[in-house]
Amino acid sequence: MSNAIGAIKVSRSGVINFDERKCLECRECEVACSLYHEKECNPSLSRIQIIFDDFIPRFPSAEICMQCDWPSCYYTCLSLHKEPAIYIDEKTGARVIDENKCVGCGACASACPLMPEKTVIKHKKVDGRRVYFKCDLCKDRENGPICVEVCPSKALTFIPAEQRKR
Amino acid sequence: MGEVYGWTGKILRVDLSRRKITTIDTMKYVPELIGGVGVAAMIAWEEIGPEVGPFDPENRLMIMVGPLTGTLASGAGRVEVLGVAPQQHPPCFSRSGMGGHWGPELKYAGFDGIIIQGRADKPVYLWVNDGDAEILSADDIWGLGTYATAKALRAVHGDKVRVVSCGPAGENLSRIAIIQTETENAAGQGGFGGVMGSKNLKAIAVRGTGGVKIAKPEEFLEICLKQNRDLMGPNSPKWPSEKVLSGPNFRRHKCGFCSTICTNTIYMDIQGEVFPTLYTTEQMCYVYKTTSHNAQIEVRVITSNYGINGWEVSYGIIPWLQLCKQHGLIKEIDGMEIPAPEKPIEYLRDCAPTPPEFLIMLLRKIAYREGPIGDALSDGACYAAEKLFGGKGKRLLDRIYPRHCGQVAHWSGHWGPGGSAYWPWWLPPVLQWCMDTRDPASDTTHSWTSHVQWYLPKSGPHKGPFPLEKVRAVSEKVYGDPNVCDPSIEYDPPEARAIPAIWHTDRGMVVDSLILCDYEHPRVFSMFSEDGSADTALMAKLFSACTGVDMSEDEMQKAGERIFNLLRAIDIRNYGRCRRIDERAIDVGFHYPGKDDGVVLDREKFLRLMDKYYELRGWNKENGWPTRKKLEELGLKRIADELEKIGRLG
Repeated sequence: MSNAIGAIKVSRSGVINFDERKCLECRECEVACSLYHEKECNPSLSRIQIIFDDFIPRFPSAEICMQCDWPSCYYTCLSLHKEPAIYIDEKTGARVIDENKCVGCGACASACPLMPEKTVIKHKKVDGRRVYFKCDLCKDRENGPICVEVCPSKALTFIPAEQRKR
Repeated sequence: MGEVYGWTGKILRVDLSRRKITTIDTMKYVPELIGGVGVAAMIAWEEIGPEVGPFDPENRLMIMVGPLTGTLASGAGRVEVLGVAPQQHPPCFSRSGMGGHWGPELKYAGFDGIIIQGRADKPVYLWVNDGDAEILSADDIWGLGTYATAKALRAVHGDKVRVVSCGPAGENLSRIAIIQTETENAAGQGGFGGVMGSKNLKAIAVRGTGGVKIAKPEEFLEICLKQNRDLMGPNSPKWPSEKVLSGPNFRRHKCGFCSTICTNTIYMDIQGEVFPTLYTTEQMCYVYKTTSHNAQIEVRVITSNYGINGWEVSYGIIPWLQLCKQHGLIKEIDGMEIPAPEKPIEYLRDCAPTPPEFLIMLLRKIAYREGPIGDALSDGACYAAEKLFGGKGKRLLDRIYPRHCGQVAHWSGHWGPGGSAYWPWWLPPVLQWCMDTRDPASDTTHSWTSHVQWYLPKSGPHKGPFPLEKVRAVSEKVYGDPNVCDPSIEYDPPEARAIPAIWHTDRGMVVDSLILCDYEHPRVFSMFSEDGSADTALMAKLFSACTGVDMSEDEMQKAGERIFNLLRAIDIRNYGRCRRIDERAIDVGFHYPGKDDGVVLDREKFLRLMDKYYELRGWNKENGWPTRKKLEELGLKRIADELEKIGRLG
């Protein structure tokens, strides 16, 4: 065991909220997310995915990290690696994967309570290396998460940590 | 070649006769022709001769996307379909567009378009999967409706695939058959579903997990965040919108990859009602004049499932049948009486409501070419009028179809569909009708009729938000002529009406090539800027940041002009298009009082507008053919050479 988990206090995180009744299924959030993070428009590399099926008359759903109060991805990474890749962003509270440190073991994805039903932690290849990625609430962006900003119907909203319901 | 941004660099070519799949290098055609319609037009110039009919194996079915398809640029979900169009009367090389999610999926699969040629010896479908393509047997899906086809292919290839298909109407070579996506977006005009049918091609299923590389991602993102938020007129919804758009029984849905609030309704399970279990969206564009809302939805589902152009049925065929009834040419079909009002039909609004059971019967006959009436109507009213009633119904087409071209007058102040267009604002759309190969309204006219018109101080009874000085100033800035938006000007000076007809057409070509949505681009006015003008350089900025190829607004406009001249050259070389044919639209189609204002077009004065149009275009005003000077200025010297050889250079 490389890290003493018991001693670590994790602060609450903000979260992106999805209102299914407002979503128009345009997928602007998906292309905006991949453009901001990956420099290309590619839903496969988006940290948010809108799930809908026109043959099934229901509201759409969104697959995106819920930024858990007890983030098992974080604890798992911490307990497995001497230099863990996942850390807690100070400003937003986002549970963030540092791509430079990720060794691609996939333990975070296995530990995630939403996976595999919802694909919120995905992996990609960077210089031939497997790297995991997930929503980081666009922590360094002045105007907050890009998906929230581009959503034309305000189906997506950002809820800061202090406003998040207990 | 360095890294390619925006485009994927490859167009898929599928020869169904030889079962051969190859690729074309997109970069041979761009940036000069942008992508989409521009690239397809050049390929058509090179490959489609005058002898090629719509249902011949040699016809090319071109399903194109562009450099902005699948990006964050608003309206980037669209596709353009081109080829020799059977619905056009007589057939000619034309185009149709559709939204949805299929286009971006094709882009993510690694292609800038698909060119289909030849004819398969038995029914097939095309499966495009991340850079690969396969021709597979369609034995199990031939004969199915468009919904069932999409479902069947999703069962085989996974529920993330996007599908376009033709229904029974396309299989039976209906000239008004559509190409339909699983989200019920469709390439409705032109009859391209029938072209699919003629090639024994049932469907194209696509799955792509790649992306569109952006040359300047930060800059592109910034431009997209600032992109135009005016949907249409000044009172239309803006994004982001706080309004909850769903209700207890329905939710809203829109084309993919777009920020504007223009939506369709999807009805959700309501116990005891039939229609919600039919997974239909209620599309924005056409409606049937029938007896109830539920009937409306059910009949539209049936139309989409057969793969029929409901626009043509509702606004062309049914009114024409009602006119034929009024003139004693026909009374009933299969024992069902054709409804008709007592008052003579002058405009679309005069038509009587059609009972749903009649519509259902009619649609079945059209889809399956059932009986002599079904067989004739399956080709649309312009072809049917030649076959039925000894040709006596032909003159009854006059008010509906400008120059009997196969498409219904639309957004031009006359017949009916589209909204109100008041004198003198319908003059530029009528000019566009004269020059194009298709109904220009759903392509290049929207940005004039459903945008510019509503900002003006006076538009019929309507008063827009901007005073005269402001619209004159914006008009000067955008069009280079303050008179364009001045309501006190009618035919004189003629450039006030010819300039916008050209400007919106050329910009429309850019939209169709990038490809964005003609409902959104270009914009002239804005409620978000101080001087009231929109950022007209928006498309050039998006293109430059996306592809890394710098293009100014003027160069972009030039590219649009190049593409329209190329389309015109195809029309001239292959089908003998000339001024005489252009003029036919004003003698047949726009020869009667306007529907909103009762104003009758003055033929002599209008001919002077046409003179000015040809002059500003650099086309010979005697015959409407482009001059060598113009074509060379646009970098189309070899087109000029070929036109000269056949004696059709202006």
